[in-house]
Amino acid sequence: MNDMTPEGYTTADGRNIGGVVMEMKNITLRFGGVVAIKDISFDIRQGEIRAIIGPNGAGKSSMLNVISGFYNPQEGEVWYKGERRPPMKPYQVAQQGIARTFQNIALFEGMTVLDNVMTGRLREMKAGLFSQAIWKGRAEREEVENRAVVEKVIDFLEIQHIRKTPVGRLPYGLKKRVELARALAAEPSILLLDEPMAGMNVEEKEDMSRFILDVNDEFGTTIALIEHDMGVVMDLSDRVVVMDYGKKIGDGTPDEVRNNQDVIDAYLGVSND
Amino acid sequence: MAQPSQATGGMDSIPALLQRNATQYGDKPAYREKEYGIWQCWTWSEAEKEIEALALGLINLGVNEGDFIAVIGRNRPYFYWSMVAAQSVGAVPVPLYQDAAAEEMAYVMDHCGARFAIVQDQEQVDKLIEVQEGLHQLEHMIYVDPRGLRKYDHHKLHQFSHIQDQGRAAREEFLDDLKERRAKLNYDSICVMLYTSGTTGKPKGVVLSNRNIIEASRSSSDFDHLGAGEEVLAYLPMAWVGDFIFSIGQAYWCAFCVNCPESAETMQTDLREIGPTYYFAPPRVFETQLTNVMIRMEDASRMKKWLFDTFMAHARKVGPAILDGKAVSAWDRIKYKLGNLFVYGPLKDTLGLGRVRVGYTAGEAIGPEIFDFYRSLGINLKQLYGQTEASVFITLQPDGEVRSDTVGVPAPGVEIRIAENGEVFYRSPGTFEYYYKNPESTADTKDSEGWVATGDAGFFDKDNGHLRIIDRAKDVGKMADGRLFAPKYVENKLKFYPNILEAVVFGNEREACTAFINIDLTAVGNWAERNNIGYASYQELAGNPMVLDTIQGHVEEVNRSLADDPMLSHCQVNRFLILHKELDADDGEMTRTRKVRRRIVEEKFKDLITALYDGSNEIYTETEVTYEDGRKGSISATLTIRDAAVADVPDMKVAAE
Amino acid sequence: MPDQFLYATEVFINGLMAGVLYALVALGFVLIYKASGIFNYAQGVMALFAAMTLVGIMNGQVPFSHIINAIFGTEIHHFGWHVPAFLAILLTVGVMVIFAWLVQRLVMRHLVGQEPIILFMATIGLAYFLEGVSDLMWGSEIKKLDVGLPQGGSFWIEDMTAGLGSDNFYGFFIDNLDMVATVVAALLVTGLVLFSQYTKQGRAMRAVADDHQAALSVGISLNFIWVLVWSVAGFVALVAGIMWGTKSGVQFSLSLIALKALPVLMLGGFTSIPGAIVGGLIIGVGEKMFEFWIGPLVGGATENWFAYVLALLFLVFRPQGLFGEKIIERV
Repeated sequence: MNDMTPEGYTTADGRNIGGVVMEMKNITLRFGGVVAIKDISFDIRQGEIRAIIGPNGAGKSSMLNVISGFYNPQEGEVWYKGERRPPMKPYQVAQQGIARTFQNIALFEGMTVLDNVMTGRLREMKAGLFSQAIWKGRAEREEVENRAVVEKVIDFLEIQHIRKTPVGRLPYGLKKRVELARALAAEPSILLLDEPMAGMNVEEKEDMSRFILDVNDEFGTTIALIEHDMGVVMDLSDRVVVMDYGKKIGDGTPDEVRNNQDVIDAYLGVSND
Repeated sequence: MAQPSQATGGMDSIPALLQRNATQYGDKPAYREKEYGIWQCWTWSEAEKEIEALALGLINLGVNEGDFIAVIGRNRPYFYWSMVAAQSVGAVPVPLYQDAAAEEMAYVMDHCGARFAIVQDQEQVDKLIEVQEGLHQLEHMIYVDPRGLRKYDHHKLHQFSHIQDQGRAAREEFLDDLKERRAKLNYDSICVMLYTSGTTGKPKGVVLSNRNIIEASRSSSDFDHLGAGEEVLAYLPMAWVGDFIFSIGQAYWCAFCVNCPESAETMQTDLREIGPTYYFAPPRVFETQLTNVMIRMEDASRMKKWLFDTFMAHARKVGPAILDGKAVSAWDRIKYKLGNLFVYGPLKDTLGLGRVRVGYTAGEAIGPEIFDFYRSLGINLKQLYGQTEASVFITLQPDGEVRSDTVGVPAPGVEIRIAENGEVFYRSPGTFEYYYKNPESTADTKDSEGWVATGDAGFFDKDNGHLRIIDRAKDVGKMADGRLFAPKYVENKLKFYPNILEAVVFGNEREACTAFINIDLTAVGNWAERNNIGYASYQELAGNPMVLDTIQGHVEEVNRSLADDPMLSHCQVNRFLILHKELDADDGEMTRTRKVRRRIVEEKFKDLITALYDGSNEIYTETEVTYEDGRKGSISATLTIRDAAVADVPDMKVAAE
Repeated sequence: MPDQFLYATEVFINGLMAGVLYALVALGFVLIYKASGIFNYAQGVMALFAAMTLVGIMNGQVPFSHIINAIFGTEIHHFGWHVPAFLAILLTVGVMVIFAWLVQRLVMRHLVGQEPIILFMATIGLAYFLEGVSDLMWGSEIKKLDVGLPQGGSFWIEDMTAGLGSDNFYGFFIDNLDMVATVVAALLVTGLVLFSQYTKQGRAMRAVADDHQAALSVGISLNFIWVLVWSVAGFVALVAGIMWGTKSGVQFSLSLIALKALPVLMLGGFTSIPGAIVGGLIIGVGEKMFEFWIGPLVGGATENWFAYVLALLFLVFRPQGLFGEKIIERV
């Protein structure tokens, strides 16, 4: 990593990464007596692709759920856009511009793809009930603007052909893409991806990687993702946090992490050396 | 040959037609493309401005007259504009198949020495970069979709819209140059170069002049009364001559609107939304659509199914006659109207064919039942016969004279000659100029008088003067008495029966024709189950006398229909047998694409062929087979040989006596 | 036209009108069930409560007057004013919204993620509680509700149709109130459909009905939506309460219309709004026609059981109802 400054840094392929958008400070999360996350700190910078990796049960998903407000940590602070974030409900976090996908896909199965992606725009709809009722003024204008954003996303992710298809009828790979579309439609300042490649074949993984890179490249979206497919992560990410047993054991560029002894031990097992 | 000034009113190039359309039809839609869920539209005058901006941009980029510009992308307005802009600056557009591999592209790009390429997106850019080493002439690439290309080296890479912007900015500077170049274009200038994906050897660059394209477009538009009100959906590859004629030639001649689908996957939806009035599709598209309809009807409620079956039966009975304008009883007409209300109309709308006034199919034989299905719905589906070298049109079916087994009468201005060996030759204003950098092939194909060999064998139907294509000329043989032997024609007729999977007809250098039949295990097996006929294997079912009876019925039916063809009545199948095994690619009897390897079959089943001709009723045979796991084995069987009744040919008898 | 046919037609039309009222009640059930998976046993009592509140407000009744008088030894029963019907309806809507908010705040919020049977039990408790509160608040006597809706048969229709049959035929007897109810129900359903399809809140409601987790992730507050859903159900209950209350007086038996809604739901499916409407109409027409033709043969009063027998048949042969989703347990 070169030129790491408070203002940002420049990646190997020439992208400019900005300042810190989100910072986790000494986060500890417990379920009853079980410690899921222990005293973890890291930051996410504007415009970067940040990965959290680790073996199964390392606490990656818990970390993502802390960021997205599904869990509130017992100790530690979450700082977002320079302000300390009080404990929040997931929907409040979403309203702050943090969109996410789920490992097991959470879509509105009974709605069409278009309606699903449109829900990503709900927080942008501010017209009052009256305006909505007479379908004039703000409501009408908003609907047109939101639809335009949604269509750009649909075009970007190449799902035009299933626009009017109920999501329940789609195959797994496409559902994943629709979920990404819904998150993107919110024009999030941080996009959280929970194992975006889980359960995909090689071709689908390649497609998804391309979409993730293109999203970051095209819209400058900050992306934080968790994934246990090491190969994919290393190719995609600018910086990687490695977790094991709820603790952070590494943090840095893919190359730095790859050569970190703790990481090697955690992934290969210490007994092997 | 027609002089441009008379027939086409001085419109002797595509850019000239564009100028005319922009003035005469300025506010009429010229292009539509669905993007971001909405149909975006460009009128003729808007299209003219877009094309002008691009043309100026190309001059600015250094395009010279006579340069070749490769155009690689799916059907989008931008690429149609690219071709016309290229013509406007005196360059030659060369559309390529977008799904071609990098090496194939490299060959074509190198062959024509393209200096410029206008491509769709990152995928195409990557392909060209991959082969750039070998392409010394390629200087600049222009892409339409910037996605993912931001980080690429932009010294020789340009965004389409930027080129247009530069063109607009330099309008003052280059407009005179552009006008001058445009003015130089005439009937003899090259309009487009299209590469034919020859089945053998390297692709050949077919050079088509403005005369070829405009004459072919003019006469074919007149033939079908196409006008400025037509709507077409451009979805077939841009590198194919048909798309060039439909979406540029005829579209510019008639000033009708070309609609581009959102993506290949949405084609069916877009078709429904546009409702084209003029439509072309290869047989397989019609076949797939029909299959989808049938599958959906299987799942439909009983009431719906009953409605569908009843009215479709009626449509089959009277639909084609009504379409051809023949006399039909008033009651049948009323019933058909009713059917149109409940079944045909909604069905046509779902298929997107509700407004089709003229529909064509070509390329290969279409199954008569598929063809009739669409005709009976009231869709004016016709057949044509064409080639890249002819600027498409050789023959066309006129309205009201449509049959599934002919390809129609010579297109206006086309002369046709049938050679001694049955090969079809033509000569027309649409006939190509030459193959680029390939004088030998040009000489082989086109003689000094302008006659072009099609490579297909055919004959004119005595009754209605329609051309019938029977086979590739090289596959047509001679029978012992010197008459034409067209095995594929007969085999196709046999294979149209669902019970018959494969047929091999023999008769070359012989007195009479005989055939091997493979039954279709699914279809015949189904029939056997319904009739409680037990069977353990293909072989057992194939030997069943009732199956033989059924197949004999089919063969005799084919014979009767052959008897109606004076040219092919002697190809009736006199004797046949059902093979004891399915012809199989693993045994080398077929290619992997399921085409019969005639020579190997003849060699391998020599004993059976002998039996077919020596009059015996049975033959015992042993054949080596390869099992699925690769082991070899052999199967033996005693096969029954049946005589099939040969239908009388009244007038031929006289001729034979 | 033969009189018999005309009588049957009249019965049929009356059946349709009755069905509309059944459908109205069933609709309330479907709304809550779709959005939260709760079978709201209290829907009928909510209609009773809404109707009583409306009457109470219109008459200027002092709420909880019995308790107040008992504690303070006073004798106040009325404020001494009358509130116009329109204003009273608006106020009642307000009360239903507060009720919805309280239900969500005090009960349902603590039961998120519980088994459906627990939630169902909770609504049974809620029903009894609400019944008691209604009595305490407004007293238990039968009240007359008149918000100005026309009542009695339509003479106009009677006159128009009298000429159709023989001299013995006096024309169709069709209740004006039933016709109003039909129009109101049609408006209500159209409104609800438009609301759920095209407004932000409606979209959010459908989203929550489909998947809670996904709804949270796009920034929808589940609490808000549930309050909204209960409010809408309260509003539907009010409309049903007005119709039934005007027809047969506001009294305890009003809450029993919920029992009539059950067979409607079994026919139409628990998750389908069109199902609730069609189911209501079928039950309404079915029981009236059955009574008309078969009733005399078996001694009448078939209306009491016809709907339940029909529902039973459906449970046996088509448990998901006419429009409901196939009942497949997902693993």
